[in-house]
Amino acid sequence: MEIAVETLAAALLGLFTAGYLVLGGADLGVCMLLPHLGRDADERRTVLAAIAPFFLGNEVWLIAAAGVFVGCFPALEGEVFTGQSAVLVPLLAGWIVRDAGLWWRGRAPWRAWRALCDGMVVAGSWTAALAWGWLLAGLLTGDPAEPAAGPATVLTSLGVAALFAVHGSAFAALRLTGGLRRRARLPAGRAGERSTFALTALAMAVLPLAAGVRLPLAESAAGGQVLGLLVPAVLAVVPLPVAAQVWLWLTFRGRVTGPSYL
Amino acid sequence: MRRGAPFADGGGVDGTGALDLARWQFALTAAAHFLFVSLTLGLATVVTAVQTWAVLRRGSGGDGGRDAAVRARMVRFWGQLYVVNYAVGIVTGIAMEFQFGLAWSGLGHYAGDVLGASLAMETIVAFFVESTFLGLWIFGWNRFGPRLHCALLWVVTGTAYLSAYWILVANGFLNHPVGYTRTAHGIELADAPAVLANPSTLLAFGHIAGGALLTAAFFVAGISAYHLRRRGTSRPSGADTELFRRSLRIGVFLAPPALLWTAASGGLQLSAIAGHQPMKSAVWRAETAEIARLQAELVERFGPGDYVPSQGLVRGAALLMLGAFALMLYASAGSALLACFRRAVLRFRGWHVLLMALVPLPYVAMTAGWVFREAGRQPWVVYGLLRTEDALSDVSAGGMRVSLAVFTTLFALLLAVNWWLLLRTARRGPGAVALGGLGEPGEDERDERTPGDGPPAGRDIGPVPAY
Repeated sequence: MEIAVETLAAALLGLFTAGYLVLGGADLGVCMLLPHLGRDADERRTVLAAIAPFFLGNEVWLIAAAGVFVGCFPALEGEVFTGQSAVLVPLLAGWIVRDAGLWWRGRAPWRAWRALCDGMVVAGSWTAALAWGWLLAGLLTGDPAEPAAGPATVLTSLGVAALFAVHGSAFAALRLTGGLRRRARLPAGRAGERSTFALTALAMAVLPLAAGVRLPLAESAAGGQVLGLLVPAVLAVVPLPVAAQVWLWLTFRGRVTGPSYL
Repeated sequence: MRRGAPFADGGGVDGTGALDLARWQFALTAAAHFLFVSLTLGLATVVTAVQTWAVLRRGSGGDGGRDAAVRARMVRFWGQLYVVNYAVGIVTGIAMEFQFGLAWSGLGHYAGDVLGASLAMETIVAFFVESTFLGLWIFGWNRFGPRLHCALLWVVTGTAYLSAYWILVANGFLNHPVGYTRTAHGIELADAPAVLANPSTLLAFGHIAGGALLTAAFFVAGISAYHLRRRGTSRPSGADTELFRRSLRIGVFLAPPALLWTAASGGLQLSAIAGHQPMKSAVWRAETAEIARLQAELVERFGPGDYVPSQGLVRGAALLMLGAFALMLYASAGSALLACFRRAVLRFRGWHVLLMALVPLPYVAMTAGWVFREAGRQPWVVYGLLRTEDALSDVSAGGMRVSLAVFTTLFALLLAVNWWLLLRTARRGPGAVALGGLGEPGEDERDERTPGDGPPAGRDIGPVPAY
């Protein structure tokens, strides 16, 4: 019984992390490619409209993943977060800077302000994506409680960041029209837009699952009393936010052609 | 702050250096985060009430729909300020959640069972839903019918309070641990209902909810006063005068009940801590003999150590909070009387200045209140169970210094820009609001009009359903 609960807790952690990397990875990738996809301020605003309704809902997947991590595996969470703090500080800082840039961009009309916010969005996204690569390098190959180092780490970081960008590009191709859509389609070549996105999404989802397998999750789960309450509670509640997100995606499924609130 | 020892040995813990830095980091980021939270929570409630009122009164009202137009503009104007503040609040909250693991892993090792579970519930049950529905509310402004659109905001506001509750379950446990059993390496959850109904949680929740409403009340009143005062020099359109007249009254009439509620729940807390945390109580009352007695008793119970929190900090914070309360009490009682007179609301410019000056007061009181609560329970991070110094992660002072510098700088910039944007948006008034102003994607942008040549009232309501 207890083993089953721990497995469920690990599955929830995997679900939320993979959910973030597939959904949040797409908007992060779009932001990384912002200067490439949108050549002037108006085009960039349209590109941002492609992710605008989703990015807030996307990043809560990661918040939820961190919540499950600290709730179901508190000791391991402390170990990994403390050990990886050199990686997590730039990851969080990049994330914060990017989000601030996104929310602030449309709030003042000056060109310099928009350029500054675009810079925050792009720099923050690249920082976060590279830090993700660094973190995954540590979780996949090294000691989970220590930042990875060495040439393989650099390559992994760059590879993961590139995957974020390609995933974002595939997402943008599904959301935009006209010249913007053509630009977003470039890396995929002639392959279909949907199948390209499905492929990059699969790659994004596999990453954290591969990393999670290496973590000593089963040995470091919280007490049975907590898991027995927390896991069923989360399982009971999760359909509601997921349904809300499905509704969100259906509501805004149409391609964007102009600016949004951002 | 003391200089840390060299950290040549890599991961070696540099005791007090890293501890002080980590405490500073948590105190500063939590205080900064809470500056956003208090306004967000209160303003969400106000905007929900205004939007509900607008939806219910849809179609009624005289003046050929002018009333309805004013209400729709009110929802958008205050909603815009809410969204600006909320967005940065989320961003600062992200750093908070990760900080437990980054700097305070001892807390996870020792009390993770209880603490982690409540944080997990907060993220999934509350914040996940809140963010998704906020996205629907902001970006779906012109896609849903008025009732559905308003219902979205109800979900957002409801889950915001739920979020506050879960965070206070964690915080209440730290201040007054209940419903646990000790194990070999820490504590385990034993009685979930006791944790959920912890008086330290429930009283703080009431106190926080009242304080948030108070923050929003003074904010709404202050900004409305600014616009009504400016009427003499640069006249806003007639509809906006009406909008701000009504808003000022909402703020001013909300303040006294919110203040009394906050004070009452604060008073209950003061009597509760006399039982839960007698040392904090003694320090606050400056009872020297009692402090010495408790110190001796605690040494006997827990071994040698200093169990007296910083007296200056605890007493100073409490006095600051009470002083702000007294000022707000007089100001809000007088304001509630004045707001009964239409002429005063529209023309009493001295009072308008006073209302503007009062906007920071709730923030002062709330920050001081948190300092009182958290500094007053030192040296414990889990009261009577785990000392703050024992909860610190195995981090070097150097690493802590970098992370403190990064987050403090970021948060200071976020706060500064947030307030600049809030005040700019507030000053430009309802005519320049972007929220809900864009129709279906692809429509013309209408949010960037130059200030001064405001449009005729009602024109830029555009495709917003007239509610």
